[in-house]
Amino acid sequence: MDIEPSDLIVGLLMSAFGLIGLVLAAGAWDNEMYLFGLSLFGFACVFVLGLVRRHFDKREAARAAVRVRGGGHG
Amino acid sequence: MAEAAIVYPAGAVDYNEAVVKKFVIASIFWAVVAFLVGVYIATELAWPQFNLGLSFLNFGRLRPVHTSAGIFAFGGSALLGTSFYVVQRTCRTRLFGGEALANFVFWGYQFFIVMAALSYVMGYSKSQEYAEPAWHIDIWLTIVWVVYAVIFIGTLMKRQEPHIYVANWFYLAFILTIAVLHIGNNIVLPISVFSAQGYSVAAGVQNAMIQWWYGHNAVGFFLTAGFLGMMYYFIPKAANRPVYSYRLSVVHFWSLIFLYIWAGPHHLHWTALPDWTQTLGMAFSVMLWMPSWGGMINGLMTLSGAWDKLRTDPGLRFSVTAVGFYGMSTFEGPVMSIRDVNALAHYTDWVIGHVHSGTLGWVAFISFGALYYLVPVLWKRNGLYSTRLASWHYWIATLGIVFYITSMWVAGIMQGLMWRAYDQFGFLQYSFAESVVAVHPYYVIRLIGGLMFLTGALIMVYNMIQTVRSSTTELSVAPPFAVAVAGE
Repeated sequence: MDIEPSDLIVGLLMSAFGLIGLVLAAGAWDNEMYLFGLSLFGFACVFVLGLVRRHFDKREAARAAVRVRGGGHG
Repeated sequence: MAEAAIVYPAGAVDYNEAVVKKFVIASIFWAVVAFLVGVYIATELAWPQFNLGLSFLNFGRLRPVHTSAGIFAFGGSALLGTSFYVVQRTCRTRLFGGEALANFVFWGYQFFIVMAALSYVMGYSKSQEYAEPAWHIDIWLTIVWVVYAVIFIGTLMKRQEPHIYVANWFYLAFILTIAVLHIGNNIVLPISVFSAQGYSVAAGVQNAMIQWWYGHNAVGFFLTAGFLGMMYYFIPKAANRPVYSYRLSVVHFWSLIFLYIWAGPHHLHWTALPDWTQTLGMAFSVMLWMPSWGGMINGLMTLSGAWDKLRTDPGLRFSVTAVGFYGMSTFEGPVMSIRDVNALAHYTDWVIGHVHSGTLGWVAFISFGALYYLVPVLWKRNGLYSTRLASWHYWIATLGIVFYITSMWVAGIMQGLMWRAYDQFGFLQYSFAESVVAVHPYYVIRLIGGLMFLTGALIMVYNMIQTVRSSTTELSVAPPFAVAVAGE
């Protein structure tokens, strides 16, 4: 199953944001920026993992659908 | 996941309802947070000891948490969610950009809200009303908002209907103008890319002018245009009637967006702002009365022949009462913008009463109406768990608003009169502290009003949860397919 273009674009975008978050946290001058940077990194990681999970969920569902249409039992 | 196995009948569109559901849940959650924080800071105003000596519970830090939670978190989630719902249904097409892009808008927006709230309680703020977040949080919101605009406009462009329904015009005005306002008012030079601190590029009265160009149009385009979009879809749907006058909706749309953008200077009467600018803001504010009431008339007259539904449909009752409050606060606003009235009203609690008749009466009620309509539809239930509970919510909340706004009217006018009173020697008759003591009873009444509004919202939460979970609301006949019929 191919990767959807929007999944790919958003995934790459979020990876970039995650890295930016790490850089901001590493060089932070104040608590606020430190918290924001770390949170952005964490948010980006969770979001990308969600994209990966949804991709495999869809692939599994597509396989199951093929099996159902083919009349097989699995 | 079994979505891939569903076979859609001809004419049915596989709408993205998942993101709408998420926004509905977020909206209900943030509503409770906003009202809870509001009640807490109202308690602090009546009895300042309630800040408990803790910096993060200070009124100055919690106040932007309350306003941001109310406007951007509760109102914003309701607007983004309903706009995604309405644009799909009225354009008969799925959201542009795929699931990932829509999810990015949802989670990215929630991330913005949480980060903004945390920065306020940590003591960081740009000190500009409704534009408090630090520069980097503003940049994050800009990114999310641009993606939101791409999805909305992309969906309009691939529509399967020949014309764009008027609700979408209002949503589009909201999306585009908020983008311009947000960027225009938040241009900041940070002291370092690694610091949350920064300075606005505009200084002095120019900064004030830009701030209130933003501030008033946040009211005009976030709290008015967007929610008018909601009104133009959900009132006709709930009443099962067409919009009273499509021509009026178009006329009042263009006149509203043309006039609103000039009204900001009325927030700066009797300041260093040039006199002609204040007069301009006042004149446009008074003119705004007409297009505002055009919307109110159109909303109310849509009920023609269906007024009986108000007895049986509490959701519709919320929507119609919201339109009534909209009419009331859009009359009060132009009156308060008149310079001589403003001399009495400005800096007093009358302004707070006015704002809450708009936000509680109009914004929250029109959102409640939409939520009561949406939850059974989105979760495929046969109706609300309890219309009686929804009625309780309606009456408790309405009474709460009445307590709130009347107490603030009395407190505000009293403050204004006390501050301007002179004795026979030309000295001020009252000290500021005396005016603070005088308004104390009204602050307690306001707190009671807020508590009632919060109680109503908690009843709604219970009703919504039960609507989704209870076996009594299950559809007796399962729908033939798991998507809504196109054009619904």
